[in-house]
Amino acid sequence: MRRKNISKLIISICIALFFIVCVISPIVSMLCRITPDGFMSVVGSPQFLPAVINSVSTALIATVISLLLAISSAWCIRRTDIKLKALFSTIFVVPMLIPSISHAFGLVALFGSNGLITNLLSLDGNIYGFWGIVVGSVLYSFPVAFLMFSSILEYEDGMTYKAAEVLGIPALSRFTGITLPYLKKTIISAFFAVFTMIVTDYGVPLMIGGKTTTLSVLMYNKAVGMIDYDSGSVIGAFLLVPAVAAFIVDLLNPENSQSSFVSEKVEPKKSRMQKILSYVFCTLICVCVFAPIASFCIMVFETKYPVDPVPTLYHIQKTLSRGADKYLLNSMIYSAVTALLGTLLAFICSYITSRLNDKFSKGLHLISITSMAIPGIVLGLSYVIFFHGSPIYGTILIVILVNSIHFFASPYLMMYNTLGKVNPNLEAVGQSLGIHRLFIIKDVVIPKVRGALVEMFTYFFVNSMMTISAVSFLAPPAPKPVALMINQFEAQLLMESAAFVSIIIFVVNVLIKGVSNLIKRKLAASR
Amino acid sequence: MTEKLVIENVSKSYRETEILKSVSFDAKDGEFLSILGASGCGKTTLLRILIGLLEPDTGKITKDGTDITHAAPDKRGMGIVFQNYALFENMTVLQNVKYALKFHGIPKADAEKNALDMIAAVGLSDHIKKYPKNLSGGQQQRVAIARTLALNPDIVLLDEPMSALDVATRLSMRKELKGLQAQFGTTMIYVTHDQEEAFALSDRIMIMNQGEICQIDTPENIMRNPADEYVRTFVIDNLQAKVDSLSKFINGRRGG
Repeated sequence: MRRKNISKLIISICIALFFIVCVISPIVSMLCRITPDGFMSVVGSPQFLPAVINSVSTALIATVISLLLAISSAWCIRRTDIKLKALFSTIFVVPMLIPSISHAFGLVALFGSNGLITNLLSLDGNIYGFWGIVVGSVLYSFPVAFLMFSSILEYEDGMTYKAAEVLGIPALSRFTGITLPYLKKTIISAFFAVFTMIVTDYGVPLMIGGKTTTLSVLMYNKAVGMIDYDSGSVIGAFLLVPAVAAFIVDLLNPENSQSSFVSEKVEPKKSRMQKILSYVFCTLICVCVFAPIASFCIMVFETKYPVDPVPTLYHIQKTLSRGADKYLLNSMIYSAVTALLGTLLAFICSYITSRLNDKFSKGLHLISITSMAIPGIVLGLSYVIFFHGSPIYGTILIVILVNSIHFFASPYLMMYNTLGKVNPNLEAVGQSLGIHRLFIIKDVVIPKVRGALVEMFTYFFVNSMMTISAVSFLAPPAPKPVALMINQFEAQLLMESAAFVSIIIFVVNVLIKGVSNLIKRKLAASR
Repeated sequence: MTEKLVIENVSKSYRETEILKSVSFDAKDGEFLSILGASGCGKTTLLRILIGLLEPDTGKITKDGTDITHAAPDKRGMGIVFQNYALFENMTVLQNVKYALKFHGIPKADAEKNALDMIAAVGLSDHIKKYPKNLSGGQQQRVAIARTLALNPDIVLLDEPMSALDVATRLSMRKELKGLQAQFGTTMIYVTHDQEEAFALSDRIMIMNQGEICQIDTPENIMRNPADEYVRTFVIDNLQAKVDSLSKFINGRRGG
């Protein structure tokens, strides 16, 4: 027993040290750069207050719109009798496969001064600024909110509604008395999650914000553009506030859905009018989701829209000659390594926290989900400050490390929940039968959670392929991740090249998702 | 019967709560001893201490005269069957029973033969290629018992193994369990909250309440001389109530 305790202690210390070095120390060192004078100079600067107002107001409006659209579309999928639900649901989450900057770029391509729809309808092309940020943020955040509401509505107990109907409770009262209270927790969680996601993102406002500067863009300009890390740290601390608030809300507001007892799913309504409206609504959402991607394709494959619509491969060749293929390959390698490292790390941590019920595992659980509270842009700056001068700084290793930490919380929680459902006595049986824990993990636990492992790998891979937030601070000049080329090409007015880069990221992510789904299906069938 | 397992003054606390309060008892060789008590009385904690999954705060456990208080679970010559069986779901019945044997230096061919013999003993020879999900609750329990018995333990601990079974399966499993005990001569320590099950199976019953032993004796003696008010209400009154309701029903049918 003593030997077992020592090995457990060594593993625990190693993991604790890893998180201290990779999460806590960088953030602390960033916060330590803040001096009273530096704080006052940032807060007192003429750009600061407008940036705060712009950030909060765009994020608030976009969050409300995103949530309304998400609830409505989830309602259509889970509560009406329409066909093609799986197809609609898949299309709704497609925006999660392209970087946030691409959503804004898609809007520019459609509604910008020389955009496709601007030209088609002879509009004024004034999408830049406040409303551009709002629309881009809605496009980018909608899938996250949709998934949350779709899942909660799927697991609502239908018997409650049947009982209410039998008791003669009218439809409106059923909605206000049953549905809304049931959705309350998810609405709160989704509100904070989406608001934080939008307020800390700089891809959309950087691309489409025009003269409307948000806090995240101000931070990017200070830290990346002017190498002013002190001012960047002050703004980073402000951006931590909503993220930490969302984190605390999530901790205090655990999900009420899947764990509850569902005796019968809610039966979809068979109303013709509802069906027609749902088809129209879902189709409109699909059009909005696909419009940016379609616009990229038109831009890439036409010689010069709208002047010369002759099909061409010229833009692809030109982009490839600028090194897009090498950047893509590099990105795929980083993403694969990040996915391997992240999956391994998240599995070890979730195993410890879900299967070894001791004080350390509770502490580790809290640290593991802390990365949710750190926006990518803040994590990037904190890594620049903390790791500057270390051997990994300026290499691809730091990009892999920062991505593994940035995207750690979701896959970790996924595996934590999956392992929590695996029979809690397997290791105890193994001990009594003389089977070492490692063999129980290898031969019994891992075969049981293979599907979740594939999902974790995919999550790390897809997100690493498209992230720009932390890596824009840390990526070495060459080889750069391919997502960073979008901004670079757009700044050089090489719009077709920027569109092509967005497409290849999208295609790679769709392929990875497709392969991952095939593997998961095969694994589920083989059980 | 000689003493197989001796437990002396075993205590266990979690934070401020005392789960076991200086518990002492013994189990005889080849005996069927039931530990009976309501939920939260400390019986599962006691079982986990006996198998070595938990360390007691104080006290001593001796098996065949050897102190095993701090021995690793697999070095105690004991096996355990959990309430939810904890079968290896990705393995067939045969693989489930055979898997542990390879960690004990048993040659592959012998391991296969041992496992097949044990599966035959629990009556599952026709199901060796099935996976746990394709078995009934009773069959799953038999696999768990075969897996435990394959390592030839002197003592088998059973943690409420029948609580998830329907009444008919429970009744048939009781017989099978007693049959297996007689066949292998194993000492069985059986944790349950079901008074009827304890009385039907046991040579002796140990009744626990709030981490303490209220009484340990044969079922007959407990019925005749309950040690305290708790034993009287929790065990005897409950059993009597069951008997009364059944006899009313049976008499009613006869009368009708």
